[in-house]
Amino acid sequence: MAEPSDAPPEPTSATADTTRGPGRVLVALYGVFALAAGARATVQLATRFDEAPLAYLLSALAAVVYLVATVGLARGGRGGRRTALAAVSVELAGVLVVGTLSLLDPVAFPDATVWSNYGQGYGFIPLALPVLGLLWLRHQSQVAADRGDPR
Amino acid sequence: MNTPLLVAVTAVAVALALLGVLSTALRRRIGTAHLVGAGLLQLLVLALAAVAVAGLVGGHRPTELATFLGYLASVVLLPLAGVLWARTDPTRWAGTIIAVAAAAVAVMVWRLEQVWQVTGG
Repeated sequence: MAEPSDAPPEPTSATADTTRGPGRVLVALYGVFALAAGARATVQLATRFDEAPLAYLLSALAAVVYLVATVGLARGGRGGRRTALAAVSVELAGVLVVGTLSLLDPVAFPDATVWSNYGQGYGFIPLALPVLGLLWLRHQSQVAADRGDPR
Repeated sequence: MNTPLLVAVTAVAVALALLGVLSTALRRRIGTAHLVGAGLLQLLVLALAAVAVAGLVGGHRPTELATFLGYLASVVLLPLAGVLWARTDPTRWAGTIIAVAAAAVAVMVWRLEQVWQVTGG
């Protein structure tokens, strides 16, 4: 969504959308994770796919999910929010399912993924990130609804 | 790689992250201090990359060379990317964006050092 270029320096939340303020912080966080997970998954898949195919495919899936969420949050608007909501939901499901499985069946996850043990290796940020993302997206759709934007 | 340089990168990155969070907490936009801090961090990271490249040329081979190069490229890009992204944000949250980039650098240089230390096999 195009914003007027002479926007005030501190817009209130009523004029904000996913592309500014806290939304940009989320984009930065998701961008860093897309970069880190993507680099890791690429190397793993390219050099030793046979060792732990499940873990490496999950790393690649995580990287794609982070990338889609980054793009969705950065674009904003109705379509961007919808894309981001889908990606962030998959991410939350992924970190919960993989986190639980990696504790129950460590043998299946010999090499850590971003989501192993609920993202412990990454300071549990992978667990916090989708929750923040969902809260932010809910806030944004409320703002859009208050403005009377088409759903 | 070079421990004093790693410590310097970490110290500047942590200071910059705190500065970024502080400016958001005080409802201020980013200022010269953030840009100087990010510039200093960028120079230190480039120096670290130069040390790493010199080591590679000198025959040091981390077992996970591809991972090492991937993380090194990410760390080198992060300070500038953080500043560019923060400058597109006209709100107090720009400081937090810089803080995210700086914190990522602080963590990633030590991960980089771990990968660097594992050689041969």
